[in-house]
Amino acid sequence: MLGAVRKTIYILYTIALMVFTVWYANFIYPIIFAHSDSKHAEVVDAQEQGKTEEEQMFEKFLREQGETSTTDLGYMVVKEQYVKGHFHHVGMTIEPDTSNACIKCHGAVPHDKAKTIRGFLNMHAFFLSCELCHIPPKEGQPKWDFRWYDKADGEVVSNPPGLVTTEIDKYGNYGAKISLGVHQDGTFRFINSKKERDFVDEYLKKKDLLGEMEQSKMKKVIHRKVAEKPILCEECHTEDKEPYLPFAELGYPPRRISALTSTEVVGMVKKYRKFYIPNFLMQDEKSDDSKMNKAKEETGSL
Amino acid sequence: MKYPKIAYRNGKRYFYRFSLVQRVQHVILFTTVITLSLTGFPLRYYDQPWAEPLYNFMGGIEVAPWIHRIAGLILLALFVFHTGYWIYLFFKNRIGRLRRENQLTMRNAIREFFSQEMIPNAKDGRDLVDMFKYLLYFTNRPPRYDRISWKEKFDYFAPYWGIPILGPAGAALWFRDEITHYVPGIVLNAFYIMHTDEALLAALFLFFVHWYNVHYSPEKFPLGTVFLTGYLSESDMIHEHYAEYVRTMKEQGLEHEIKPQGHH
Amino acid sequence: MKNIILILGFALLSNLGVSGEKVFASDELNCVLCHKHRGLSRVDENGEFRLFFINEKMVKKGPHSKVKCIDCHRDIDEIPHKPAEKVDCTVECHLEEPSSKQKFTHKPVSEVLSKSVHSKYDAEGNLKELAVKYPDDYPDCKDCHEQPLYRPLSFFKGHAAGISERGLSRCKSCHTKGDFAESFYAHVTSRLQKMRSPKEIVGICARCHGDPQFQKRHELDAVVTSYMETFHGKAVHFGSEAAPDCVDCHVVSGESVHFIEGQDSPTSSVAKGNVATTCRTSECHADAGENIAGYQVHVTYDKDKYPLQHYMLKFFTALMAAVLYFFVIIIFLELLRRLFPNFSFTKSSGADEQGH
Repeated sequence: MLGAVRKTIYILYTIALMVFTVWYANFIYPIIFAHSDSKHAEVVDAQEQGKTEEEQMFEKFLREQGETSTTDLGYMVVKEQYVKGHFHHVGMTIEPDTSNACIKCHGAVPHDKAKTIRGFLNMHAFFLSCELCHIPPKEGQPKWDFRWYDKADGEVVSNPPGLVTTEIDKYGNYGAKISLGVHQDGTFRFINSKKERDFVDEYLKKKDLLGEMEQSKMKKVIHRKVAEKPILCEECHTEDKEPYLPFAELGYPPRRISALTSTEVVGMVKKYRKFYIPNFLMQDEKSDDSKMNKAKEETGSL
Repeated sequence: MKYPKIAYRNGKRYFYRFSLVQRVQHVILFTTVITLSLTGFPLRYYDQPWAEPLYNFMGGIEVAPWIHRIAGLILLALFVFHTGYWIYLFFKNRIGRLRRENQLTMRNAIREFFSQEMIPNAKDGRDLVDMFKYLLYFTNRPPRYDRISWKEKFDYFAPYWGIPILGPAGAALWFRDEITHYVPGIVLNAFYIMHTDEALLAALFLFFVHWYNVHYSPEKFPLGTVFLTGYLSESDMIHEHYAEYVRTMKEQGLEHEIKPQGHH
Repeated sequence: MKNIILILGFALLSNLGVSGEKVFASDELNCVLCHKHRGLSRVDENGEFRLFFINEKMVKKGPHSKVKCIDCHRDIDEIPHKPAEKVDCTVECHLEEPSSKQKFTHKPVSEVLSKSVHSKYDAEGNLKELAVKYPDDYPDCKDCHEQPLYRPLSFFKGHAAGISERGLSRCKSCHTKGDFAESFYAHVTSRLQKMRSPKEIVGICARCHGDPQFQKRHELDAVVTSYMETFHGKAVHFGSEAAPDCVDCHVVSGESVHFIEGQDSPTSSVAKGNVATTCRTSECHADAGENIAGYQVHVTYDKDKYPLQHYMLKFFTALMAAVLYFFVIIIFLELLRRLFPNFSFTKSSGADEQGH
């Protein structure tokens, strides 16, 4: 009996060693031939290859994504995202929002149409979810419930402590965003929750199975809740009425609330509204075409 | 110090292989080689994820190069000592005997030189053929190695050729400023390749082939103890040095107790 | 006129200090009211990500902390403002260079750069052929420089990185006003060493010189890869400040670091006749012989350019492959033999037969 066990172990060990030997043969191959391999790799100039400008850009973006830069000052090391041609130091790394369903198609820097304020809108997209402005409550519907969610997994998190700090590198960088939801059977649920995210993933995976007509239909369905007229700046940055967002409930200290609703910010918003906010955001009745034209006419921008 | 050819422990036979001096030399050899590897390869493979933590553990860029140089010096000293030790034994045992027997001629001296146990000979060639016959199932009789098998000779000459390539090249890179007064700069390029590529070969060989022979192989796992005790067990002896086993048993008058070269 | 009123109005607004947050000295227009937001950004027409975020903490860490935003971003004359123009680093700013008492400008640097190998123009002032074809391949300031940051050193008792508070207290016994002492200390000690670590310098050069497409376009060797194979590169990789980076060898000692010349220029630090001098500077291989110039730094193992290295590599590759695969095969067969110890094609030679 013991002999049989010993023999089995012996055979198994021998087979394991054979596997190890094969692995080693594989392992040493690139080590031995390291140089000869890389030297023969032929590089072809993208321009000479006849690639279109767009193809070249796509390759470049693929190459550059996730590039970081490290600055060693001796007494501290600054790690930051590398943005080509960006002179000022970002001084921090940022966790991406991997949970929002809209971002999967629209990206993290989606605002482009309203030239004058697109920078500001993108700035807000950094800590506000898309639906926060683009899905206002329907007429007669009760007000949404607002919560912070974790950028990494989309789950509810408590109000970020970064809101209270005065440190610059924590300012606005909470690893979380505000989004909205409803109370269902006594529990809070984001309207853009895991279910919706999984559905969008599923759609993106299988979209080619749909005919061209069905694709258009599907897009309409996905965007059904998105309102033509989003929540506008002054609905939160207001001195004279209750802001759309309950700042205090969301963890903003009084100091920050008064800044957000201060003459400074509200004055700025008014200035933009008067001179720059494109008319299409103001007038619901205009047709699609004229909206686009209006937007194009705007000149000043960030 | 006189070592008995066969020692008995707990009623089992053990066969003499390495003297204390030889075992100490081996310990110095492997400690320096491992140290040199740990302080050298993180440099060669600096871009691998393990390189930086390992190098920092070995003292980082300020300290590790000095550990490397000191270990290298010790290894070079060992090489010199070993060569001296080997020449001493050759003259004491071989030339001395020839002289006593009044047989000292150039021819005899050369023959003695080539009959030393570490020097490759015709039997190694026959063993190699036997081994391939056995491994490729042309026979089920394993090769019958003598005191030092061809594999062990290879194991022995790998560092014995490696050190004179690695060591002086390493020393030249260390004293790069001084030697550029005497040799062209491109010699440093050549030394660099010699040093790093030979080191790579040595490491890939030692940590797989040699460690297979003494650590991984099913009969040895987790480690053979001969490098500590100097004595090899009877079963290992039968397995690895059957020709010597049979000879020693006969010499010791144990002819009737010789075991067959069976299988494990 | 409207603009001035806007600026004044805005300055007034910001000074009301409703927010209660600190405004840093050089930002008298409170640009950070908006620009402190990390997400202030857009994607431009060329698909480039444009980030308008200003990290005040980082601005304060470098010499530019003394410069006002509008000193560089001159075209901004109203708030809210239109897309800012590209900053021209060669303009004069309000700072005074103390030795000459002249307005400070980076113009001399740009003049040096225009004579270097990195200039788009040749010695006669004509656009280089390659610069016509690939204008983006020639660097301007921002391709190598981000906003500079001080790397102060402490020598007060032993060497350490950072500002020595006790050293600084000596300065402050006389120079009491503002942050003069701090910034002067940081400025001077940063300049006593390299403002950027060697590893960073290599990374900057590698942005272009490490790109195989770039190498192909300009018929250059893979200089970064070959440098990283030298002990210089490895030491720098593991954080040595003493080992040379690209700039240390490619700039003539004593010249502006922006003056890098091609190998074929007779005054270049890497021209055939000058290599030994470059290697034998007092900080480096001071005691080396003339022959050190023969050491080849950027070895590519190319058959024509580096025949010795090429054939040595071939030899060692063959040796390694032969030795290692020979033994790997034997070990594999030996292990396999253990699984079938008694099998053999021929029956005649029995395993039990004793040796002689």
